[in-house]
Amino acid sequence: MFRPIRILILSLLFLGCVKEIDYKTLTTAFSTDIRGFDPAFATDIRTGKIISLVYDNLVRFDNEMNLVPALAQQWSVDLTGRKYTFIIRNNVHFHDGSLLTVFDIAKSFQRILDPNTASPQTWLLDRIIGAKDFMIGKEDSLKGLIISNDSTIVIKLDKPFAPFIQYLAMPAVAIINIKENESLTQTPSGSGPWKLERWERDGEIILSRNEKYWDNHPKTERMRIRILSEVMTQSAEFEAGSLDILEVPQGEMEYWKQYSYNQLDVDELNIWYIGMNCSRSPFNDVRLRRAMNYAIDREKIIHILLDSSATLANGPLPPQLLHEVGEMHYEYNPNRAIQLLKEAGFDNDLHTELYVAGGSEMFHVLEALQSDWEKVGIIVDIKRSDWNVFKTSVREGKPDLYYLDWFADYPDGENFLYPLFHSKESMTKRNRFSDPEIDIIIEKIQQLTNRVERQQLIATANRMVADAAPWVFLWHSKTTYLTREWISGFQPSSIFNANRYMNITKDPPR
Amino acid sequence: MIQYFLNRLLQTIPVLFGVIVITFVLMYIIPGDPVVSMVGERYNEETIQRLREDMHLDDPLFIQFFRYVGNVVRGNFGNSFITGEPVINLIMEKFPNTMMLAVCAMFFAILFGLTAGILTSIRPGSFIDRGIMVLALAGISAPVFWVGLILILVVGVMLRWLPPTGFGGIEYLILPALTLGLRSAAYLARLTRATMLDVMSQDYIRTARSKKLSEWKIYLQHAFPNTLIPVITVIGTDFGSYLSGAVLTESIFGWPGIGRLALEAIMKRDFPVIQGTVLFMAIMFVLMNVLVDMLYGVVDPRIRLERSGK
Repeated sequence: MFRPIRILILSLLFLGCVKEIDYKTLTTAFSTDIRGFDPAFATDIRTGKIISLVYDNLVRFDNEMNLVPALAQQWSVDLTGRKYTFIIRNNVHFHDGSLLTVFDIAKSFQRILDPNTASPQTWLLDRIIGAKDFMIGKEDSLKGLIISNDSTIVIKLDKPFAPFIQYLAMPAVAIINIKENESLTQTPSGSGPWKLERWERDGEIILSRNEKYWDNHPKTERMRIRILSEVMTQSAEFEAGSLDILEVPQGEMEYWKQYSYNQLDVDELNIWYIGMNCSRSPFNDVRLRRAMNYAIDREKIIHILLDSSATLANGPLPPQLLHEVGEMHYEYNPNRAIQLLKEAGFDNDLHTELYVAGGSEMFHVLEALQSDWEKVGIIVDIKRSDWNVFKTSVREGKPDLYYLDWFADYPDGENFLYPLFHSKESMTKRNRFSDPEIDIIIEKIQQLTNRVERQQLIATANRMVADAAPWVFLWHSKTTYLTREWISGFQPSSIFNANRYMNITKDPPR
Repeated sequence: MIQYFLNRLLQTIPVLFGVIVITFVLMYIIPGDPVVSMVGERYNEETIQRLREDMHLDDPLFIQFFRYVGNVVRGNFGNSFITGEPVINLIMEKFPNTMMLAVCAMFFAILFGLTAGILTSIRPGSFIDRGIMVLALAGISAPVFWVGLILILVVGVMLRWLPPTGFGGIEYLILPALTLGLRSAAYLARLTRATMLDVMSQDYIRTARSKKLSEWKIYLQHAFPNTLIPVITVIGTDFGSYLSGAVLTESIFGWPGIGRLALEAIMKRDFPVIQGTVLFMAIMFVLMNVLVDMLYGVVDPRIRLERSGK
């Protein structure tokens, strides 16, 4: 009667010859699937990462976050800061073998702005002359996009805009093979260093090396990106040797310290913060907002709860984007917080709510903040909801307080100032902060081309925002990666679309 | 019989209509906005407005509802808000994976559940009976999530017998199928045992024994077929729920099935995909119930005669 059990055990043992490690394929994991391969809809980081592997842009970021030539072998900006001239490589082929031309570039840009595409990424190109009319169907071509000859394309903006060149490195403005634009969601049509071999939605994405790539080829033949939504599953796969690279989840650092896997820490260009609704009582009072900042012991939280994998925030900008980091604006000082609360007229306990997205791994951190605030008389109830409800609430300006993060699209202080603190953005999408003086400075930063002057203004804006305290500035987190012993050459970048997995090798341990 | 089958199929129409109404109303009651999942962080208000118009989200609810019902009747489940692909394609892409997992899980459940149930009913109170019943109780009580993780850690990571998670050949199927089928196996074991013990005390079994038939023949030919009505009910209901997706098992094992498709759609408020998957799940569940109903007639001649009016 034990025969069936015996057969099962034997078959398990037989299957126990689990596949040998495939040294030709680099394997990593994402927690959720991508949206598709259409650059026009690359609105999330994961999709952006994949787009950057299978497509090319005019320019791109290298691992040190420098802007370097890509499809454009060189570019220049005229003195007005409005005219960009790009000289295009003439030896680039799409994955289907057809030659990439200046016409493909022009069509790719037009496609983003075309109302029929309905791309949410039009903001990247809508400063080109004629873009507004083109977007509403008034014009059938973009006046500011000029093909000068077979290898030169000129872009004219309606006014100077310094971050524009960085916009062109964003995944959404990757260059596509326009002939095949019907099937872009499922099948990419680019010229990047990796080609799509197979996409099993919610399962895995398999890429193979583009042997005809115009630049250096990736060192591994294939790349497999598995979609594993559970953190524990990813960890188990890494331990079993089925994943080569693991992004260590928050709170698991202690566990992984017992192993001797290669560890790489990356200071991300990000900020974690508590947004405070500045347009209504009680958080329209700057003294209360500053008290919120003084009341929390961030250093202790970083050390104890975050395994020291973050750096203190001194304003919204990460230190990598500032040429000098000034004195800490808000040291832990509960007495100062109590004094400010008294000055603001909060003699009794203040009750408020903090909105959090349900899947937050950092819930223990929020409880620590809650406890610190309670000590100075600010009673905060944590209100959890799912991500969509949370984001909708923030957009509608419902929460008094909300816990959120911001990751850079491109390595520029402007990317932390305009979308988060310019009144045009903040008043409609975020915590309803408005300061005309800060608005003027941000607009100047957008237009300035003089690097030194621009950096000084960015530092000034950072100080002014810190002083106005529209947020509780928490920290800039690090991401820790572990790699298996057979992996070498992995150098993750601080900017998401710079990681192209080009120099990684996977060799049997000697 | 055919008449009965057609009648049962007709009876499912109001159930499915009810599912459509409830899903549709729930979609619009729950807070959240599908556009938020589509636009990223740097959108402008015109983009939001244009997308809402494109997706007809600003139309009155009853117009949206009748448009949806009209499309469903014509076999059109709409397109995903997020990827723009036809919902039916997304479902059909995932369904073979879900079917594969469901069949395998049910195979395990039937193999272990029925075998354990029959074995334990042979000598009630014996060491084997008690041991298996304790295991069955544990199987019913253990959360799927926990069982899955333990199997991954023990079989996948420590013993390295099978790949911990993933999707591909038969080796990837065993752990998720075991995880998914465990609860059914445990329940089937307890149910089979209880029903077998009841049947074994019947007069016709005594008669069979008095005819000196072998014990195995009595168990397998005379007793077991009479336990099948409740067993088929459980198998049918569980299989129906497996076919409609096993969110937890699929998530833990990275299995790309209907359950994960539905979960992702709910998180992103992808209304057409939610409605499509829920309706598809309901159809699967209802069809399994009809099938179980039909099987009653196959295994029990009395029911067959009753239905044919004899």
